[in-house]
Amino acid sequence: MSNSTHERLRRLTFAVLAVLILIPTTAFVYKVTVLDYRLANILPQTEYRVSLRMALDGGDGRVRVATYAPADDVRQTIRDESQSAPQVLHHTIEAEGLNRQAIWLGAPVPDDVELRYEFSAVLSAVDFAIASDLEVPESYPAAVREFLRPTDAIQVDAPEIRERLHAIAADRGPLAGRIRRIYDASEELGFRTFKGTTDALTALRLGEASCNGKSRLFVALARAAGIPARLVGGLVLESGSKRTSHQWVEAYVAGHWVPFDPTNHHYAGLPSHYLTLYRGDEALFRHTGEINFDYMFTTRERLVPSPEARASFSAFNVWDLFARLNLPAALLQTVLMLPIGALVVVLFRNVVGVPTFGTFLPALIAAAMGATGLRWGMVSILVVTGSVVAARLGLQRLQLLHSPTLAILLTVVVLSMLGTSMVADRFDLEELARVAHFPIAVMAIVAENLYLVLAEKGLRSGLKHFGGTLVVVLACYLVMNSMAMQVLVIGFPEVLLLVIAANIYLGRWVGVRLIELWRFRRLWRGEEARA
Amino acid sequence: MSNSTDIAPREPWWRRWQRARERLAPVFGMNRRNVELVYAHNDRRHYPLADDKILCKELLQKIGVPVAPTVAIGRGLFEVDSVLTTLRDRVGFVVKPASGSGGDGIVVIGERTKDGWRTAKGRDIPVHELRQHLANITFGTFSKGLEDRILIEERIIPHALYDAFWPNGVCDLRIIVLRGKPLLSMVRVPTRRSGGRANLHQGGIGVAVDLREGITYRALSQGQLVDTHPESGEPLLGRRLPGWDACVDVALGAASAVPLGYLGVDIAVDHRWGPVILEINARPGLEIQNICGRTLGEALAREGLS
Repeated sequence: MSNSTHERLRRLTFAVLAVLILIPTTAFVYKVTVLDYRLANILPQTEYRVSLRMALDGGDGRVRVATYAPADDVRQTIRDESQSAPQVLHHTIEAEGLNRQAIWLGAPVPDDVELRYEFSAVLSAVDFAIASDLEVPESYPAAVREFLRPTDAIQVDAPEIRERLHAIAADRGPLAGRIRRIYDASEELGFRTFKGTTDALTALRLGEASCNGKSRLFVALARAAGIPARLVGGLVLESGSKRTSHQWVEAYVAGHWVPFDPTNHHYAGLPSHYLTLYRGDEALFRHTGEINFDYMFTTRERLVPSPEARASFSAFNVWDLFARLNLPAALLQTVLMLPIGALVVVLFRNVVGVPTFGTFLPALIAAAMGATGLRWGMVSILVVTGSVVAARLGLQRLQLLHSPTLAILLTVVVLSMLGTSMVADRFDLEELARVAHFPIAVMAIVAENLYLVLAEKGLRSGLKHFGGTLVVVLACYLVMNSMAMQVLVIGFPEVLLLVIAANIYLGRWVGVRLIELWRFRRLWRGEEARA
Repeated sequence: MSNSTDIAPREPWWRRWQRARERLAPVFGMNRRNVELVYAHNDRRHYPLADDKILCKELLQKIGVPVAPTVAIGRGLFEVDSVLTTLRDRVGFVVKPASGSGGDGIVVIGERTKDGWRTAKGRDIPVHELRQHLANITFGTFSKGLEDRILIEERIIPHALYDAFWPNGVCDLRIIVLRGKPLLSMVRVPTRRSGGRANLHQGGIGVAVDLREGITYRALSQGQLVDTHPESGEPLLGRRLPGWDACVDVALGAASAVPLGYLGVDIAVDHRWGPVILEINARPGLEIQNICGRTLGEALAREGLS
């Protein structure tokens, strides 16, 4: 090729690159400045799936079990509520004051009955700043006044409460100072796990309490100081199972219910894993006696796109497009992330020099692994390729032609997937059971390629290619399943033009691959080894 | 071994880095080979010429580039029996799939036995087994295609020097040519370990040849520099290859015969016919840089091609 053709090719490449970079950059800037896209919305949120399992033994009489179901508020969004219970128990959710109560009611039930109540929650953190010059109001709206009154466990008028209030100077001065001192007084109580409830006075006298004792002392002192306050019950969510619920408080400040947690040291704010189940001095469970009641909360976390992203990414909204077409969101993610996955493969093949089976097979497999998760996805790949290679070795003796061989391998893939799903179902491995999402033909081709390399180039080469494929699958999985990456592509589909630009650049990139640095080490290190 | 770097003060890291980068610059990796040599000089539609031994051979013969004499060609299953008839009383021939790669499917026949032939490696092949092998070639078993043709050539009897390197098979001489200029060359010597094949990644030894003089100067076996054949002990370095100028001429002649600008020409030197073309390759490998201890970039610069 002559120099002028070379120069023309270079200029053409530059021009195409310039256009492919300019268009998405312009669209990006336009969306952020004019259409008010917020980059922060790209970051995903944690969605908690909470499952409450309640076990009980029946008796002769009717059974009633009640607990609190979480409600939407500024901090939390609840969706996908579901419950399961034996037919004889009638389930309702009723509004009860500020709260929603989930009730199961019905005829005598047999022993060892399980009730299950599940929901998903997306939570956000809050943080309030209380103005320092705010005074304690003289009067409150009627609905709020109730939260100034004493109760049996919150002894607002007890002399000891009043004395403590006076001692910490929380009975005078601006509101912010009073609340700070009340918070400090309840926070500094020693922590001790008590079974059952501790009233405010007991907590004060003992000088130590668990979360509900500290919270009741806070509420009692606040009410005594003329600040409406109430208990809040809920869960501190983290992956795993637990029985422990938590209590904290809310104080009514300048028209807002501001949360405080003197036990875990959160002042005028809460982190984003606090789930509110009910407000008021309530018991989490109420049930008929003699039923040997037990319960367990199990929480799982997963990342979901933030609802703000969906609402604000309005131009060429592929989200809504898929919703209108009745296509699943998972498909949208797969489709949009495939080009990104393919770019990852290109980087690994042409820049690093990792050998893989097929050009884009790793990206396709990684896309399917969205359903199974990383660990079980890898297990599935090993199981499926293992059984197919074994089958292929057996078929070799028959010396069949190519196409029928592939058709048999395809069938073996299907059979091994079915088998894996059945085993997974038997052992309750929900993610592994989703191995059926794997692209069957792709798996058959991977296994056939592995067999060919094994047969033609030996074990070493086969393992190198297979290992390389697994490494690239892993990298593709991490990139393609990054929720932030998905929301970025969904909100800004024009980044796919940047992907094309990157591929054009890499398509003309003549650098030495990382692996070739090692291969040609003698030529650039300037050292010699002699056998 | 001692040298002056032991005494000289250590260079700062950035200086060493810079030097390594300078030395790395002329190394051709896969990406650069494809973009700057293969795509730039070889039109894809001419690849079949290099991949199909029969097509290539006919082209070379037409303009008088020496090749091994053809014994028979089988264009499909229907010609297997007529090919066998031609071979009936023959000894010393080679069976090749026309589009095979990496030496797959090649059988070298030595002498006749009672009910068939004996291969060069000493294995007996009865007639029915050779028929099966020929049929498999036409099915494309060795060619990744749907079907293939059979090429049968007279067996090469290597020149004494090559025979000394490796007596049980054929050493091949590869010359890389870009637009009529030879860039690098090496001899590939089989070993027992490579199963008698000359392929480097299967354990063959690469012996670098100085293009001007035709004298070997460097040999690599399994990534290690060697002076002698590790199995036979035959010295590999400083050997003057027979008929060197003719070898280069044959390579350049073959290069000019095919419409490819960048290619690897594989030559065998027969003691009766002199150099003959074994095959040509439109995407020759890069290991020759390691064998020669020279980069393609340096070779291009020397020829004024960069």
